[in-house]
Amino acid sequence: MNVITNKNIKCTIALAALESVMDPEIGLNVVDLGLIYQIDFDEAERKIYVTMTLTTQFCPMGESITGAVKRVLESTFTCEEVFIELSFDTPWNHERISEHGQHFLNK
Amino acid sequence: MFAGSDNDILVKNTTHKVVLPFYLYAALSFLICTIILFFSAKAFTQHYFHPHILAITHIMALGWGSMIILGASHQLVPVLIEGSLYSTKLAYCSFILAAVGIPIMVYGFYIFDMGWPAKWGGRLVLLAVLCYVINLAVSIVKSKTKNVHSYFIFTASLWLLLTAFLGLMLVYNFSYSFLPKESLKYLPLHAHIGVIGWFLLLVIGVGSRLIPMFLISNYINPKLLWLIYLLINVGLVFFLIKFLYYPYGSYNIPIGALLLALIFFGKYCYSTYRQRIRRQVDEQMKISLLSVMMMLLPVIFLVSITGWLLADKRNVQIVLIYGFVIFFGWITVIIFGMTFKTLPFIVWNKVYHQKAGLGKTPNPKDLFNNRIFIVMALTYHSGFILFIAGTYLVDVFILNFATTYLILSAVLYNYNVIKVLLHKPAKE
Repeated sequence: MNVITNKNIKCTIALAALESVMDPEIGLNVVDLGLIYQIDFDEAERKIYVTMTLTTQFCPMGESITGAVKRVLESTFTCEEVFIELSFDTPWNHERISEHGQHFLNK
Repeated sequence: MFAGSDNDILVKNTTHKVVLPFYLYAALSFLICTIILFFSAKAFTQHYFHPHILAITHIMALGWGSMIILGASHQLVPVLIEGSLYSTKLAYCSFILAAVGIPIMVYGFYIFDMGWPAKWGGRLVLLAVLCYVINLAVSIVKSKTKNVHSYFIFTASLWLLLTAFLGLMLVYNFSYSFLPKESLKYLPLHAHIGVIGWFLLLVIGVGSRLIPMFLISNYINPKLLWLIYLLINVGLVFFLIKFLYYPYGSYNIPIGALLLALIFFGKYCYSTYRQRIRRQVDEQMKISLLSVMMMLLPVIFLVSITGWLLADKRNVQIVLIYGFVIFFGWITVIIFGMTFKTLPFIVWNKVYHQKAGLGKTPNPKDLFNNRIFIVMALTYHSGFILFIAGTYLVDVFILNFATTYLILSAVLYNYNVIKVLLHKPAKE
C-alpha cells in the first residue's frame, strides 16, 4: 500500500479500519481506491493527521467520505483527535488503485 | 493545512431541501403528461398547432424536462462550476414561481385561452428562469475557476431566458399583434432556441462532466468540448439570423453544425466509455449513453422536414414525430438515467451523511428498485416506438396502446422516485 507514515504499525491498524469506509458510488473502500496518501501520528499530542484525496475534486460525496474517515479513526484510536487534509496537488488516478481494487473494478 | 474535517477545499453541497421538490414536481408532471397524452391521442392525428399538443409540449418541456434539470443543476453546481451555489433563497423562488406558473400556463394552452392564464403563467415562468440565471451567474462569478462546463450551463440558461421571453411575447402577440408576423410563424424559433440552446447545451455540458465521473474514466478533452460548444452556439445564432431575416432557402449550415456537434459529443462519450476504469456499467449509465445515440433521431427528422420530405403529404406527421422524439426521446431517456444516478445520492447524503463510517450503510443504488427501473425502460421504449408508428400511420388505436405503455412507465418511474424520496434508514 502506497501510504506515507511515521508509524508503520499504527498505520496498518488505521488502514485496516479504513477498509470499512466505502466510496458509495463505486462500492470500493477508500484504501483500495488509493485515496489515502499519508497518515501521521503525533503520539505526544495524541493527534492523527491524514492526507487524502477524492476521485474528483468536486465529488458531491466528499464531505461524507472525509467525515467517515474521521469517525472511523476516532473510534479506532480512542481519545485521539483526527485532522484531515484533502490534497489535489497530485490528483488521484487509477494507478493508485490496489490490486484487489483493480480486480473488483474489472469484474 | 489541516482543518479537522471542515476542509476549505471542499465546496459546500446544495441543500437537499431545495433540490428534492424539483425532482418530485418533475416526476408528477411526467405522469400527468402521459395521462393527458392518453386522452389527447386523437390530437396527434391532426395539425401540430393543436391546443392539447401545445399543452403537452409545455408540460414536457417545463414541468418535466426543465424542472428536473433545474433541480439537478442546483445540486450539481458545485461539481460543474467548482464553487458553491450562491443563494438557496433564489433557488426556492425559482421553484415556487415555476411550480405555480407552469400549470397556469398549461391550462391556458389546453383551453386555448391566451388571456390571463397563458400570460400569468408565462410571466411567472419567466421570473423563475430569471432567478435561476441570476443565481447561476453570481455562483460562477464567485467560483475560483472557470471551466468549459460552467460556460455550457450558463450559456444554456441564457438561451432558456430568451426562450421564455420569446414565448411570453408570442402569447402577447395573440392579443396585441405587435410582431411583424402571427405567433404561429415564430413557433419554430421559440422551440429550437429552447431545445438546442437550453436542453442540448445543458445536457452536453452536464453530461460531459457526469459521464466520465460515473464511469470513472481517464478521458478528458476540453478542446473537443469547446468545439462542440462553438458549433452549437454558432449554429443556433446562424439559425436565428436566417429565420428572422432570410427565411427562405435551406438551413444546411445550422443543421450541419448541429450534426457535427452531436457526432463530436458521441465521440467524446465513446472515448470516455473506452477509457473507463470501472468495467461494469450499470443500467442507469447504459440508458444515459443510449440517450446520446437517440440525439441523432431528431436530426434525421429535421433533415426530412426541411429537405426531401417537404412536399410529402405526411409532413405534418413528420413534424409531430420530430417534436415527440425530442421530448419523449433523448430528453426523457437521459432524465431516466440521470435521475437514478443523482437522486439516490442526494437522499443518501441526507440520510447517511452523519452515519457513514459508523456501521454498514446501503449504497445509493440500493435506494431504488433496479428491476422496476429495467421494466420501466422496456415499457417506455415499447410505448415510444408504438407512438411514432401510431402518429405516422394516423392510427388512434395504436396511439392509445402506445400511451398506455407510456403511462405505465411513468407510474413505475414515480414509484421509484417516491421510494427513494421516502427512504429511511433501517432500524438497528
